[in-house]
Amino acid sequence: MALVAQEIPKVGLVMEAVKVVRWLKNVGDTVTQGEPLVEVETEKSIVEIEATASGRLKEILVQVDQEATVGDQIAWIESAEAQVASTAAVAPKPQIRESAVERPSPVAVEPRVGDRIRSSPVARKLAAEHGVDVGAVTGSGPRGRVQLDDVRRAIETPTRKRAPPAPAAQGLSPMRRALARTMQLSNATIPQFTVERSVDWTVLQALRAEFSTKLPHGSPKLSVNDFLLQAVARALIEFPALNATFSGDPDSPDARVVQASGAHVGLVLAVENGLLVPVIHDVERYGLAELARRRVDCVERGLKGRLRREEVDGATFSISNLGAQGPDRFTALINPPHSAILAVGRQRDCVVARNGGIEVRPLSELTLTVDHRIADGRLAAQFLARLVGILEGSDWRLS
Amino acid sequence: MMHTFIEILRRALDEELARDASVHLLGEDVAAGGAFGVTRGLAEKHGAMRVRNTPISEAAITGLATGAALCGLKPVLEIMFIDFATLSMDCLVNQTAKYRYMSGGQLTVPLVVRTQAGAAGGAAAQHSQSLEAWFIHVPGLVVVAPSSPAEAYGLLKAAIRLGEPVLFIEHKRLYTMKEELADDAELPPIGKARVARAGKDITLIAYSAMVQSALEAAANLADSGISAEVLDLRTLVPLDMATIAASVSKTHRVLIAHEAVLNGGVGAEIAARIGTELFDELDAPVLRVGCPFAPIPFAPELERALLPGAEDIVRAARQMMSGGA
Repeated sequence: MALVAQEIPKVGLVMEAVKVVRWLKNVGDTVTQGEPLVEVETEKSIVEIEATASGRLKEILVQVDQEATVGDQIAWIESAEAQVASTAAVAPKPQIRESAVERPSPVAVEPRVGDRIRSSPVARKLAAEHGVDVGAVTGSGPRGRVQLDDVRRAIETPTRKRAPPAPAAQGLSPMRRALARTMQLSNATIPQFTVERSVDWTVLQALRAEFSTKLPHGSPKLSVNDFLLQAVARALIEFPALNATFSGDPDSPDARVVQASGAHVGLVLAVENGLLVPVIHDVERYGLAELARRRVDCVERGLKGRLRREEVDGATFSISNLGAQGPDRFTALINPPHSAILAVGRQRDCVVARNGGIEVRPLSELTLTVDHRIADGRLAAQFLARLVGILEGSDWRLS
Repeated sequence: MMHTFIEILRRALDEELARDASVHLLGEDVAAGGAFGVTRGLAEKHGAMRVRNTPISEAAITGLATGAALCGLKPVLEIMFIDFATLSMDCLVNQTAKYRYMSGGQLTVPLVVRTQAGAAGGAAAQHSQSLEAWFIHVPGLVVVAPSSPAEAYGLLKAAIRLGEPVLFIEHKRLYTMKEELADDAELPPIGKARVARAGKDITLIAYSAMVQSALEAAANLADSGISAEVLDLRTLVPLDMATIAASVSKTHRVLIAHEAVLNGGVGAEIAARIGTELFDELDAPVLRVGCPFAPIPFAPELERALLPGAEDIVRAARQMMSGGA
């Protein structure tokens, strides 16, 4: 028998602090390596941390609502495997590296598989309405079935509430803290410049209406964001120099620009007291219909705080569209380690000169903020011109 | 003033005979009052032409009544025991229920078949059955099963005025039940269930005599803090899913009780429809209380042991509420 330290693994690029939401095991319970052990609230979502060893949960060091930092030891697991234990116990804390294309370490936040969660239909309905994970609710029914009262209790329990509004006197919420840290990092370490151009939506509007009639039954409606995603992905593939992240200190010999293999695009999503950037991976592979489906899915789960870690990670570029109620134009700060962010102003009818005459066209101002370490003005201007060309053209992939 | 089920049925028939000259009563011994005395005195009051004794042949008299209805009369046929309705089945299923459909709506069969069902007092296996499930399987037949004397009054009159073939099932255990009847009692619409008792924790769905058992069970459950809502279906065809949905959406738990055997019963049909139409409202599996899959015994002790009642409903409801189902 040996003791293995359970630590908080690194989950996001700038994640440092997490708050323990719920222990899924009690002291004395048997745990299996890879099994969800504890739920923690990160800046972006609630994630499950898996047990790093099999054995018995010996001691919980960080209680519910207490904060911990990446690398902190939060529990002791008494493992029967002495070999594993001795090495794990002395293992160094995970390093936080600003590696651009760093993929998640194999810390599972996947929904548990295997034993099915028993729950009554009406309990599932209520849980969905309140964004409660039925799997995280203890069922009081036969064979552990989660029933209506169990979900009601879970909703009423304060720890289950999403993003509780923190009184002014209290500290930052984990999400606010992470946002502050991320934006500070962005502003302090990334030299950013912007280029602007207006886009004419006339053709896109017509195509959007036409495509809407061709969508498979049950598909979500196409949004301008779906077109933006596809256009950005195509431009990124054509301009691989921008489809990259900057890694390391420029003075260091390790500094490099790492190009991404596909177009992974983040979509900035405003949520209560903060924002999320769900990432749609390999956007270039999908038609508009599938992008709409993925976007709706990401947004819905994002609003419930139920995005998996890899779904908010791995992008090189993000899109911030403040919609019809937004400003005419705005400048966005890059979301590290992305290379650029596109800020989309509200669409409005503008008088434009066309073919020697005056026309009224629906336009938006696009503002592209670029990491100057990665790209320069000419590349940014070419990229933006190409992006506008795609957006104003009729070459779209629906499915 | 309190009236028995039998007296109230007699009053309803009496009033309909007086109201509408096309209403006729047919059946074995009905001129003499019938086996249970429901029609006693009506032949004397309305004449032998309007209240007619028939031969003891259910097949023949169901055909006679169907023919009379096709020709414009509104016969009320009494089949003495639902157990004997097997002999009426060919006519009821293949003729009576089909005319409106096969004539493209040119023909109607305004026929009420009164019959009585259920077990009481050791009538044994051939005179105690609850066979309503056979009839709800036939498109074209309306099936009514009142739960009390006052209910029977309105439902019988509504059935006679409906203008469609109606099987009107009276439970023999209710015959001696007494109830007040208002002079201006309203006629309930056919196809509309009623909330016999409001509650919030569990819905008890019943019809016919089992409604009384469900009400007794609900009172018992209330003593232990379980608030049961009792639905009296009144009609099995058409089934009032709207009232069921409203109740289940409130309680999220359902127990269906009937005296008939569970196999292929009305409860199975309702449970299936709830499972399909109200799946998202359920917090527990739908439970059924009914007779074991066995004939009704003659010995009174065995009959009592077999028949489902309030105690069975209470037990099943408690099991469901305590998370045992």
